[in-house]
This record gives sequence, structure tokens and C-alpha cells, in this order.
Amino acid sequence: MITKKSLPRRTFLRGMGTAVALPFLDAMVPALAATRAKPPVRMAFVYVPNGIIMDGWNPDYEGPLGELPRILKPLEPYRQDITLFGNLTHNTGRALLDGAGDHGRCCASYLTGVQPRKTVIDIKAGVSFDQIVANQVGKQTRFPSLELGMEDARQAGDCDSGYSCAYTNNLAWKSETQPLPPVLDPRALFERLFGNGLALTPEARARQNLYRRSILDFVTDTTRKLETSLGPTDRRKLDEYLSSIREIERQIEKAEKDNAQIDPHMEKPYGVPADFAEHFKLMTDMMTVAFQSDLTRVITFLVTHEGTSRPYREIDIPDGHHPLTHHRNQPDLIEKVTQINSYHLRQFAAWIAKVRSIREGDGSLLDNCMIVYGAGLSDGNRHLHEDLPTLIAGRGGSHFKSGRRIVYRKETPMCNLYLAMMDRMGVHVEHFGDSTGRLDALDLT
Amino acid sequence: MQFPGTAKPPVGIVFDSAMDRIDDALALAMLHGFDGQDQARIAAVCVSNADLKAAQFCDAMARFYAGATTGQAAMFMHFMPIGLADGKPAAASAMFANLAYPNSVKSIDDTADPATLIRNELMAQNDQNAAVVLSGPATDLAKLLDMYGVKEWIARKVRLLCVTETGIRTDAAAADKVFAEWPTPIVKVGREIGEALLFPGDSIEKVFAWSTGYRPMPDDAPTWAMAAMLYAVHPDGGYFKLSDGKPASLIFDPEQKERILRTYIEIASAKPVQRKKDNKK
Repeated sequence: MITKKSLPRRTFLRGMGTAVALPFLDAMVPALAATRAKPPVRMAFVYVPNGIIMDGWNPDYEGPLGELPRILKPLEPYRQDITLFGNLTHNTGRALLDGAGDHGRCCASYLTGVQPRKTVIDIKAGVSFDQIVANQVGKQTRFPSLELGMEDARQAGDCDSGYSCAYTNNLAWKSETQPLPPVLDPRALFERLFGNGLALTPEARARQNLYRRSILDFVTDTTRKLETSLGPTDRRKLDEYLSSIREIERQIEKAEKDNAQIDPHMEKPYGVPADFAEHFKLMTDMMTVAFQSDLTRVITFLVTHEGTSRPYREIDIPDGHHPLTHHRNQPDLIEKVTQINSYHLRQFAAWIAKVRSIREGDGSLLDNCMIVYGAGLSDGNRHLHEDLPTLIAGRGGSHFKSGRRIVYRKETPMCNLYLAMMDRMGVHVEHFGDSTGRLDALDLT
Repeated sequence: MQFPGTAKPPVGIVFDSAMDRIDDALALAMLHGFDGQDQARIAAVCVSNADLKAAQFCDAMARFYAGATTGQAAMFMHFMPIGLADGKPAAASAMFANLAYPNSVKSIDDTADPATLIRNELMAQNDQNAAVVLSGPATDLAKLLDMYGVKEWIARKVRLLCVTETGIRTDAAAADKVFAEWPTPIVKVGREIGEALLFPGDSIEKVFAWSTGYRPMPDDAPTWAMAAMLYAVHPDGGYFKLSDGKPASLIFDPEQKERILRTYIEIASAKPVQRKKDNKK
């Protein structure tokens, strides 16, 4: 029987202290609707610090993507889903008479498009473009935006030649004086995503902890009730979705258990996995769920903070990342930075594979995303702010003709890309930062 | 932010030219000469013709004057891009691929939009410590004026726009716009100035003897762009007088002729100075 009734897009499975949003289901499309509702477009920024070894990033060709250079190699199976950009520049990341401090400037200007004030006290940058988007499209989702990261970092003090740590350690800026510090604890993020917004009573929390119950246990009844009204495709989709949430829970529990065994006095939040790849996977799995269930359409992800000296023992590199990037053209140091860059890309590619595997509408979730992977410096050795390593995974709601490399003219402002992205998000702005227009050649036509 | 107590560097020069006359090439050589002697700094070099060969030439000049010959040091030198007018430029010339120093301009993507480049470079200048020299159509500068918020930057950073009257009327609308809206003093270099100051042909042979594209140059060359460059770098040098009115015009002083020509030759033929540091802003 065909009915005109459809499941509201904003349906939650509710239980004690729990509100689990649903993914985009066929049942949410009115059966007799003249046209299928288009899934929303989402955007995310994945930022890596200290630049990239550009010889391993830039292909020596333009146009359709073929064999990818070493650092991008993990993305080769998904090359039809990515767009590589050449020659995008952040002029406001440059010194412009402010002297040293490229790490502070490049991170603070990355999404704001303005030159930050050189200070450790009265910080000032600009409203970041993700927040401009969040202010408009965020009204339609539970969270206007999510700000995530993976490295604990202070928010005050001098982190780069007179630039406040607020500049190196945040991507998103709510106002010109208010950065939005990233959440890095998977447990905190999980509870934010699936809590009902109300604090659990101590008794309820104690019961949850005592029995280590899954949040899904609290929504069993409503899940069963919902399943009876769904078709087989939606039931399978829902089952996969809930399984992925359960898997995230398991990973968090494992991290908490491991951390308790390793060092009960560790400074890291309790739920942060010690292993970089595990942490990355947990955070991106939750980003996937957040996009899938339309909890938010805007995410920024500061993988590690700008200028970080984090070692990468996971891949047998005990040296600090930042010191390595000042390699003075020594091949052995360049090789180590390349390995770090590649390691980051492997994690990213695994996430893209996951997003791509999720069906949504007539395509995949990735088709409806613009996931930017990039850095605020190209050559970290010389602190260059031009030809920034930038790619978009996804088609932004089938707007992008992906699978190619587009090289723009030198000095083309990165903010021109942001204007084009804002258009795809339905937010129309004439100028942003130092933009000089919108990037062309992004449309299918 | 400009840190108090820091001495201002020499004036930063934006040179925008059609690069279609020997005068423009000589003015560019003179700019590099001034830069090498710390009398000025090159802020930006732009070509208002959609001519890739001209951009290649400017790029080659930058590398030549920086002492960027082959070898690892040259490979890691950082050069600012050349601004080149929009359009479909003719193919790059193979001539530049055979020079002793690497050339980075192979397609229009290796060049920058002139207005964007000039805007970006002006932002890196100390207040009132930049000058713009225009030889040829004002198309790039008119486009610059259309950019959001840029007039404030120009007023803050630029002390002078020096334009040659020859060539500017090839884009009359752009010229009118620049004369009407440019927010700093403008000085014009009239046709008579360049024709009164002829750069000796035999000196041209010496200046460009390094170039594999060099052709014998028996004629003396008028020097509109060189006069504009000289005035922009040394407005108080006593080389020229200024007329009243807005915009003012350079007045040729015959008593200065020998001095001006001697300066032209000395500066334009100055030996390259090894670059001390990257030119990244």
C-alpha cells in the first residue's frame, strides 16, 4: 500500500539520556512526492600541520587523475571522487611585515582568510567561513557545527614567535576574538552526539557504567517499533547504522580500558586512544555518523595542531614532526616527513572509503559531501603559503566534476574556493577574506 | 602591524608594463639594478599584454639578476610570480628553455593575475613606501581598483603612481578610471620626456649582451618607462621638475640630461647581485 505519510527527517530514537538521530532513509521521502528530496550537502575540513612534501603531493599533470604521487597514493582507489587543486594561496598567512610566526598565521588565517593580530593576549582573527555556513545551515541540524581534533593543546601562551596558542590550536572562529577549541576525547564527542542534551542523573550514569550498557540498549523498544514500519532496504540500512554506532562504543570502551592499564595518571582524557590510527578512526567514524544522520553539516578537524612536534613512533619515527619539516633539503629528513604525510593520508583514505561505502539517495554519502584535506603551508621547510596542498573528496551534492586536477593561476586566493563551497552549501556571500571571485571550473557544466 | 623603530626598507616598486618596447625592458633592467643596489625593492612585475614570452622574459630577468644559475642553490630559490594579463597567450618560447638559468613560466598557470599579485604585494609593503610604475594600458590597475577593499590598501601603502602617456590610451576606459579613482598622487611622463632622453644604442648592446635572444640594436631608444622608473625611485633626486596641476607631469630639464643618461646606463647595466635571501613576503 502506498501512503502519503513519510518518516520525518528529524526522527530520533530516544531512551534514557539518549537521542540517536537516524540516517537518511527511503521512508523519509514522501511516497507520492513529485521529485525525490535531495540529501543535504555537508562539508568538512581535515587540516594537517607543518606543510607537505610537495614533490610527493603534486602530480606532474593537469586534468583527469591517473597515477597519483606517493603521498596521495592511498587515495588512488577513490581518485574518481577527489578533486586536486593547484596554486591556491593564502596571502594573509604570509608575514606582511609581521615577521616570524608562519605557523601561527597559517592556521589562524586558514579558514578565516584574514591576517591574525600578532599577540599572545588580545587575540584577533576573523569569523571563519565554516561558521558563516554553520550560522545559516546549522539551524536545520542538531549541531550547527562540530570542531574536532586529536591533540591536546593549550589555548593560551606563546606558541609561535609571539602568536598566541589560540592561533595554532584552533581552526574555527565563532567571532574575531573567539576561537572554537576542538573536542578531542571520543567519549565526550560520543556523549555529545548521542546524549539527549540533558545531563544524566548520577544514578543513571552509575547504572550505565555499572552494566557498561550500550546506548542502543536504551533505545531498543523505539528501534523495534520503528523497524516494523520500515521496508527491507531501510531495515538493513538502519541495522548497519546502529551496528556502526555499537562499534564506535566498543572502540571507546577499549581505549578507556587500555588507558587505565597503561597509565592511570595520564594527562590525556580518559577515552583518547594512545594509538594515532585508532584515534583517527574513532573520530572519523563519529564524523561519518554525524553526517549520515544529519546531526551536523559542518565539521572542522584539526588532526594535530599547527607547528606540532609530535613524534610518530607508530611508524618508527621518534623525531618531532615540526623539526623534521625544517629538513634543509636533507634527503633522510625529507623521507621521514614524507612518511608522516603518507601516514596521515592513509588514515584519511580509510575514512573516505567508509563515507563512500554508505548509500544515500541515488549515490553515496560521499557524493553529498565536500571533504577538504589540506594544510596552511605547502613547503614547511621554507614556510611557503602558495600552492597549498588542497583536495576535495566528494562531489558536493553532485556539483563537482571530480576525478581531476585543476591548476589555477598563481596567487589565486584560497578564499575563492571557500566562496564556491559556500555556494554549494546554499550560503551566498559576495566577498570573504581576500577573495577576488569564485573559483571557476568547479561545476559539472 | 609595523614594528616601531624598524627602519623602512627602500621603496617597493610595482612595475606594470606592456613589455612590448625596448624601453620597458630597459626599465625592468633598471629596476633590477636599483634593487641590487638597495635603492629600491621589486614589489611586483606585471605584463599587461597576454604575451607569455614577455612573462618568460621577465622571469628570466629576475633569475639572471638574482644570480640564479643552475645548481641546487638556484633550484631552491624562491621567486615571486610574474603577473600576466588574462587571455589566451601564444605558446611559450623555446628560447627561454635554453638559458643558463631555469625558467619557471611554461603556461599561463605559472603566472599570476596582475591585480591579485599587485594587491598581495602591496599588503607586504610598509606604509607609504611603495610606488607603482605604469607603462602601457591601465587595464590591470583598473581591475585592481575594482577589487573589494583595495583602495584603502593602495592609499595606505602607495605614495605615488607614475604613468607614461604613451600606450595608456590603448585602453581608454581603464585610463579614465585610473585617473579618476586612483587614491594617491599621480605623475605623468609625457611623450616629449622619453624622446628627449634617448638611451644610446651601443649601450643597449652591452646591457643585453648576456641574452641569447639579443639582436643588434643600432637605434637609440626613447625612455618613457625609464624616466617613470627613475622618478618613482628617486622623486627627490632632482632629475626632473614637476608641473603644477593634478595629475602633475614631469618636466624635462636639459641641464640634467647627461646626469639622467649616465644614471640610466649605470643602473640598467649594473652587474647582477647574488640574492641574499628568499623574496617571500
